[in-house]
Amino acid sequence: MAESELQEPNIIAENVQVRYTVNTNDPSQRAKGLRRLTNAVAGRAGQTTVRALRGVNFVAREGEMVGIVGANGSGKSTFLRNVAGVEQPDRGRILVRYQPLLLGVSAALQPALSGSENVRLGCLAMGLSPDEAAEAFDYVVELSALGSAIHRPMGTYSSGMGARLRFAIALAARPKILLIDEALSTGDATFAERSERAMDELLAEAGTVLLVNHAAKVIQELCTRAVWMHRGEILMNGPAEAVAEKYRWWAWNVAKGKEDIADKLLADVVSNAVKEEINILEPELISNPIPRHAARQTKQKMVAARHVKRQHEVDEVEETPTPMLAAAEEQVWPRSFDDEMPKAKFPSLPKPASQAVSAPRISDAPPLRLNPSKKRVVLRAANPSDRASSVAAADDFTGRRLASRARQIADERYKERQRLRQEDNAPAVHQDSGR
Amino acid sequence: MSEKSQTVETKNPLGLSTIPSVSSEGLVPVGRRTSLRSYLAALWNRRHFILAESRAKMSGSTRKNLLGYGWLFLNPLLSVLAFWFIFGFILQSSRGIDNFLGYLVIGVFFFQFTGKSMTGGTGAIRSGASMIKGFQFPRAALPISVVVRNFLDFIPTLAVMIVLILVLPDLEVITWRVVLVIPVIILQTIFNVGLACLLARIGHKIPDLTNFMSIVSRFWLYGSGVFFSIEDRLSDHPLLLAAMQFNPMHSYLTIVRNSLLYGVDTDPWLWFVGIFWAFGLLIVGFLFFWRGEESYGRI
Repeated sequence: MAESELQEPNIIAENVQVRYTVNTNDPSQRAKGLRRLTNAVAGRAGQTTVRALRGVNFVAREGEMVGIVGANGSGKSTFLRNVAGVEQPDRGRILVRYQPLLLGVSAALQPALSGSENVRLGCLAMGLSPDEAAEAFDYVVELSALGSAIHRPMGTYSSGMGARLRFAIALAARPKILLIDEALSTGDATFAERSERAMDELLAEAGTVLLVNHAAKVIQELCTRAVWMHRGEILMNGPAEAVAEKYRWWAWNVAKGKEDIADKLLADVVSNAVKEEINILEPELISNPIPRHAARQTKQKMVAARHVKRQHEVDEVEETPTPMLAAAEEQVWPRSFDDEMPKAKFPSLPKPASQAVSAPRISDAPPLRLNPSKKRVVLRAANPSDRASSVAAADDFTGRRLASRARQIADERYKERQRLRQEDNAPAVHQDSGR
Repeated sequence: MSEKSQTVETKNPLGLSTIPSVSSEGLVPVGRRTSLRSYLAALWNRRHFILAESRAKMSGSTRKNLLGYGWLFLNPLLSVLAFWFIFGFILQSSRGIDNFLGYLVIGVFFFQFTGKSMTGGTGAIRSGASMIKGFQFPRAALPISVVVRNFLDFIPTLAVMIVLILVLPDLEVITWRVVLVIPVIILQTIFNVGLACLLARIGHKIPDLTNFMSIVSRFWLYGSGVFFSIEDRLSDHPLLLAAMQFNPMHSYLTIVRNSLLYGVDTDPWLWFVGIFWAFGLLIVGFLFFWRGEESYGRI
């Protein structure tokens, strides 16, 4: 993968914990006493608390595409929902640079409406203005490659066509942070190609993609880094190749019923797992390492000190050099050491992640945007004979072209992946033909 | 981009390097409730979506029918005919009210607007659950979109009603006061937005409220004098009658009837009650809903 120079974090998750209280008809969880009676009236057997996330620490940086693998119910989707901000964690906090876009605009789409009407609706749902939505329309049509089907009701689409349209609509807003929950697996090969290029562009522009997918191969091909989640915790975090390979091996053993090997593998991974902690530096802490609450204790003295200083300035105005020197001497060598020495200020330690409960409320934070600028949508299609490419040539209508450096990064990523694929496919051709 | 390359790992000011440090500069908590000002700004930016979504839902529901949009007009037309057949033709009842058919039709249609907003607002969060889980937007868009949808439904109803009142053989007194219907509709819409926001949060907390709301709605329907004049019926219960004077729906219905049917001026007290409720409930309901903004993701 092309090495990206962009390293600023886009997503920071600190000790994220989520628990759900859900109904259960597990006999062992049955309530007792009066509770049981009320439950019987309400028609439920009992309730239990599920810990969906148990303290996830996670950082995703600019230009990173992070794959998330894990068994069903390991908290992957819950984590994505929390990063998207549609749900608040019970503990911990999630900081983002831009508003993340969960690939879930499908919720706003109406099956009775045609695809083109849904494009407009979906674009408006993401906060685009009607003009921007009209401009993005061509891009969506080209990226989704639906052809004339775009004018048919969305309810008549096949699941793959629907997924393509949803993905194209989501990218039309040019989000900087995209969260994908097993959406790309339904598209066919041509669409996979287009969508990968679209994501390359997003990454090259200092964006971040989180991709949940069960196919370890997809993670290995697309992602720069991967995370293995298990029971609401991050077990492994490292290069996509290594993590996906480990996960694939574990999942294969589970699937084959070789529980002992799988458990051993898991135990091995768990024992090697370092409980990752992150130390979040608050902006004011970086500029001034003495936190505000530490400085507050000396506030009373500060006032006095300022007063003294002002007097000192008055002295200066009088321009009498000798008292100044005397004063300076006095400061260095106090006559008596009984006086209270001025306390040295020690920077207090930043809170460990496990103790941070919630972020300080930012009362007038600027509203998060999907992308930092109000610039136009890029219209680029994989096929040069497509209409979007010709539209892209007319520069002012298409709006922003990718910055040349970003373009270069995107192309490098693309070429690298093509090369890897060819290496993979070259020996595989015989197997395919034999099948 | 070259200046970014130097800040690969932000140094911990204390030099403790065992724990990786990241700078949170430029990052903000996601999904937090924003200040009221930026919340309103975000809501205003989503106005196109609210309108498009309401229209999409409306046309989505009508498109399945053969007659499509025609039902928006046919529905009120047929209900007026039903009312005329039962009350005007079979029962021949006027209950001591001039132009009883007009009285009834205005009552039913104007009340329906609020009643639907009320039940729709109570379930707004639940029915918008997939959207809430799908993407980030000011959640107040959901109850507002319920009211907008009902308003869009109400407009053809209103047109049919006014045409019928003019056409049907009854004595109306048409004066300049007909235009007073417009401010009443505006006030009632504002009232509905406040009501939908208020009930949306309560309905999210207590899902059982949806069952309860249809009963409340019925009580309110009779209490607002849709089928009969409450002044006549409650003349021997002065306390109840006094309480009814604060009922906003009673004010709206009375003003519309006075302006549209009878051509007389309305008691300023009713105008005051109507305006007070509309803006009071809008502020209270909206602020109440806004304060629960972060909780709606959990359903």
